[in-house]
Formats: sequence, structure tokens, C-alpha cells
Amino acid sequence: MKHCLLCGEIIRDNISFGELISLRPISSHTVCHACRSGFNRLSMPTCDGCGRKLVSQMTNPCQDCIRWRDSGLPNLTNQALFEYNAAMKDFMKRYKFNGDYRLRYVFVSELRLALAHTKRLIVPIPVSQGTLATRGFNQVTGLLDRTHYHEVLKVTQDQKLIRQSEKNRRQRLDLIQPFELLKLQKNLIKDTPVLIVDDVYTTGTTIRHAAALLYQAGATDVKGLTLAR
Amino acid sequence: MINDISELFGRQMPMSMLGETLNHHPGVKTRAAIQTDHGIACCRCGSRLKRRLAALPNNQYYCYVCIQMGRIDTLQQLAFAPEPNEFPRISQPLTWQGKLTKLQAECAQTVIDVFKNRRRHLLWAVTGAGKTEMLFKGINWAVENGLRVGIASPRVDVCIELFPRIQVAFEKVSCVLLHGKSEQPYVYSQITVCTTHQLLRFYHAFDVLIIDEVDVFPYSGNAMLHFAVANAIKPTGATLYLTATPDQNLFRAIKQNKLTVSYLPIRYHGHLLPEIAVIRTKRLATLINDGQLPKNILNKIQALIDAKQRFLLFVPHIKDLKHVFDALKATKMAAKFETVYSADPQRIEKVALMRNHQLDFLITTTILERGVTFPGIDVIVLKADDDIFSAAALVQIAGRVGRNSDRPTGEVLFYCESKTANIKSCDRQIKLMNQKAAAL
Repeated sequence: MKHCLLCGEIIRDNISFGELISLRPISSHTVCHACRSGFNRLSMPTCDGCGRKLVSQMTNPCQDCIRWRDSGLPNLTNQALFEYNAAMKDFMKRYKFNGDYRLRYVFVSELRLALAHTKRLIVPIPVSQGTLATRGFNQVTGLLDRTHYHEVLKVTQDQKLIRQSEKNRRQRLDLIQPFELLKLQKNLIKDTPVLIVDDVYTTGTTIRHAAALLYQAGATDVKGLTLAR
Repeated sequence: MINDISELFGRQMPMSMLGETLNHHPGVKTRAAIQTDHGIACCRCGSRLKRRLAALPNNQYYCYVCIQMGRIDTLQQLAFAPEPNEFPRISQPLTWQGKLTKLQAECAQTVIDVFKNRRRHLLWAVTGAGKTEMLFKGINWAVENGLRVGIASPRVDVCIELFPRIQVAFEKVSCVLLHGKSEQPYVYSQITVCTTHQLLRFYHAFDVLIIDEVDVFPYSGNAMLHFAVANAIKPTGATLYLTATPDQNLFRAIKQNKLTVSYLPIRYHGHLLPEIAVIRTKRLATLINDGQLPKNILNKIQALIDAKQRFLLFVPHIKDLKHVFDALKATKMAAKFETVYSADPQRIEKVALMRNHQLDFLITTTILERGVTFPGIDVIVLKADDDIFSAAALVQIAGRVGRNSDRPTGEVLFYCESKTANIKSCDRQIKLMNQKAAAL
């Protein structure tokens, strides 16, 4: 008997006859059907820049991504798996801010599936030393459980005195380079295509700063993957 | 953030919740939040934690069970302050003027005795027996003697309804109501009314703790809440459990002499509880799933309607409501009826229609098992052998019948494919109560 990680109800999975005779491992859910249906998987058409869902009247890439073109930061293609809706917001609150590390299993297999065939070097966005001390974990590497990744970035000291989520859009866009490269890892990146992984794409500042740094270190091509947009 | 030591009396919270003034206060004691000596266990909620799930990447452990009250981990300490019973002396705290019946007065005397001798006791009284009023004398004695009193229930509605009654009965005594959605700030008070979840914030606080509706979800079978109750009482404290339907755990405790029990098996009107009739019906679940009802049930419902006898029709699941509703509509019987469930937007209106005699019957899930009275009704339960119907739920459902002195009897019909342990247990409990009532 398994309980839903989010609501604690018993998960009743109906195994189809097809699944039964297919001899493939039966997909096992960590979250019940009702909780699962709260999350909205992003499907085509999406913005080529940031990965958001395109609805009528929206250009591709979207206006936010067009604005980024003159910013001096590199262009970026980001793929997002889920829409940042009420259910995702609640999930992030519980996982990140309440610090319920166990909830990483809600999306671990989603990310593993999304990253299964990439030949790129997987680089997670880091958290500051202060956050790591109080929270005890990096929410991004938590989601990358059982996926092979390289922690090449770290947050520069004196950064993140205010949490990213407590800043408004303007403040976020003004942010100076928040990251630096770990010296030992520099050689890894040279002439390598890289995939940056983050939990949420909000304005795109964080991931672009990370991309700029990786290009400087000689990465051939940098793309982004976020759980939510 | 708390700044006054009195807010910590008999309470426990992570050190990080204490304001600066309390950081070096001599009255503040601490202990580990998570203990890792023999496996991993949370010291606030008592849960034994799975190493794999509780581990953080920085080699620390956190409790994932009581995380809704704020995360605690191995880097933290729990702060607490021993309960000093700093209450003003109040003579005659009870301002309630009501009268008890002879049997109620006997129970009230038992309650005082339980509190005096710091016993664990179960007061097993049928619904509508006036349990709250029977507590007043005991609480009065405790308050007079400067003891701290807690009244907790698993159901928040019970707490919200109980609190004003306690306030009115003890006008001169400080009272506080605590539950998850409450806006009221915590104040050190002599009487605390709260949900059983709130007890996780207490540590050796209460000389006397009363648990109302002890057999219902989420308290029943929840190890964390049982731990919270045990931890909230002083090691020398008294515990009084109240319910109309004790569960197996309580019976076991009684058998093992860990708990004493007193019965009030008789309703205020002095009549016996209606006994249940079990009618075995083949292929009941399959038929209902196909949107049909067996002939015998249809005939019975028709007979009740012809006799103008109103009733409740219980089904186990929300999805059954539509099947049964459609099956009854298909017979074109001349009756007015509706379906109702917990999240039904018209729930209150439909129940009101039933109450105002504008419906002949109501098809319902277990939401109407407790706390409702429709005078003079009968009850039918379909698929009574479904797991949803615990023995307690069945007793409570049967308890909807004969509550009024105008019609103190009535029919309770359980339709099922097999007579499950829950049904047998329900039958036994009702018969036992009636035996005890008859002996009075």
C-alpha cells in the first residue's frame, strides 16, 4: 500500500491489461491521480525562448524573450516541463521553503525521463551557502536524484542576501552576475555542449547569467531545462 | 517568534522560534529535536522515521511527518519550559446553573474521581446523553485546585462548537481555543480547547486532559496523535476519553486494565437503541455498478414511501450516489429524493430540505453518520460490507434512528453480500449497550 506524497491518500493504481502483458516494469506513481491532475504538463506550441505555453495572439518567441535580445546576456533556448500554476506553486512552497526534501520524488522520474537521452553536460543551478545551511539541500540537485550531473557553478559570496523569490521583476533583471565557476571544473566545460537545469524559470535572469558564465568558459552551446515555467 | 516565558509554559517549539529575550532565560530547557540513537525518531511527534526518507544531503535528518508545524531537524533543539501552574485562585469557577439527571450526576461524580486520582478513564455514553454537561463538575474541581485543563478533539467542528459552551460555563476562568485555521494568538490559559494536532505543541502541560470523539479520524489509528496526547499530559496527569463508539484499541486497553470505563447506555428519553437487521443480497455491488437495485430493496423502499416513512439511504462511495439515484429514478416511484456528499455545493440546502420534510429520503455518504438528527426516520445502508463502513460508523448510522421521544424506535436495515466483522461488531456493541440499559 503506497501513500501519495502530497496528500497522504492511498494510491489506487489501476494496471491495464496491456501493461500486464507487456512485460515492461509497471509504472509506479508517487502521487495520487487527483494530485497529479493539478499539474499542467506543457505541450506544443511553446515559446522557443523560455518554454512557456503559447496562447492565441502570442508571438514566437514571446515578447519577454524578444526583450532579452538587447540585454547583453546570451540568447537561450529553454524547455520547461510543467506550467507554474497553483499546484506547482504549492509544491515549491512545501518542497523548497518548508524544506520537505522527500517531495523531490514527486518529479525525480519526470526529470530522469526528460534527461535520459541528452548528450549534454548537465549543470544544476546552485544555491547559496546560507540557504544550503538552513535548508540542508539544493532543490535542483534533489530533483536530479539518480541522474548524472556536474556541479560546476557556485553562488558568489555576499550574493543572495535577499531571496530571489522576494525580489520584484526589476530587481531581478538588474542582478549582477551571481555565480562563479569552480576552478577545478573549468576544463570540463571547454568545447562541451551544456544543459543548465533549474527548478523554475520566472524571468530568465538566473539561467542567462549561468549561461553567460558557461559560454565564457568555452561551452559550445548552452540550453536550459526547468521543471516549471 | 515568542518573547514571554509564559508562552512556553508546558509547550515545546524549535529554539529558532524564541525571541532574543528568551535565548538565555534560565527557565528555558532544551532537548534534541530528532534522536538518532536507536533508529531515527522525531521527539516532537514521536514518529519513527525511515532513514532513506529522512536523510538530508548534509548528513542531517529531518522529520517529514510533522513538517506542517515547521520543519525540525537534527541541527535543531526543542525548547520547553516546565508547567508551573501559575493561575490565579478562583473560588466557585463554575457559573453554569443547569441540572443533571440522576444517571448524569453519577457519571459527573466519576469524572471528579478520575481527575482526583489521576486515572485513565473512558466515559462511554450514547449520543445525546449530555456528555459536555457531565464534564462541568470535574473541570470545576480541577480549576479550583489550580490544575491546567485541556479539552481536545480530532474534529475541528467539535472544538469550535465546544469552546463557547466552556467559556459560558466558566466565565471567570481564562480559556483559549487553538486549531489550524484559528486567528486567535496563543495565550497561557487555564483551560485549553484544541484539536488533537495542536497537542504536538505541548509538553507535559496538562494535569487533566479530555479527548472528545476519541474514535474518529484522524485520531483513531494515528500513532502520531496518540503520542501527542501522551506527551501533552504531565507524567502524573489524568486522561478522560469520551465517545459513543469505542474502537478496538480502547477495548484492548480496558481488557489490559490500562483504562477504566463507565457506561451511560441509556438515551435521555429512556428507550433502548434500535437493533440492526442484516439482509444478505447476492450480487449487490455488481448490480449497483450497473445502475440497478435488487427487487427486495426496491420493494422495501416502495413500502416505506407508501407508509410515508421518511429515511436516510447510506452508500459507501460518492460514485455510488449516481448509480443508486438513477436506479430509483428509473422505477418512476412517486417520491422526492436527492443525493448529498461532503463536497456537494448544495450540501447544506439539501440537508435542510430533508429536515423541513420537503424530501421523502436522502441518499448520502457517511457525512451524515454523526451530529445530525432527523426526528422519526429509518435508515437503510447499501453495501454495508464495504470497508468504508467501520463498526463505529455503522453504530453511529444506526444511532440516527429513534432519537426522538415521539418515535423512539425504528428500522435499521443493512444490505450486504456478506456479514463482515464490522457489521458483527456493530451488532454486538448495540446489543451490549441495550443489555446494560435494560439492567438499569
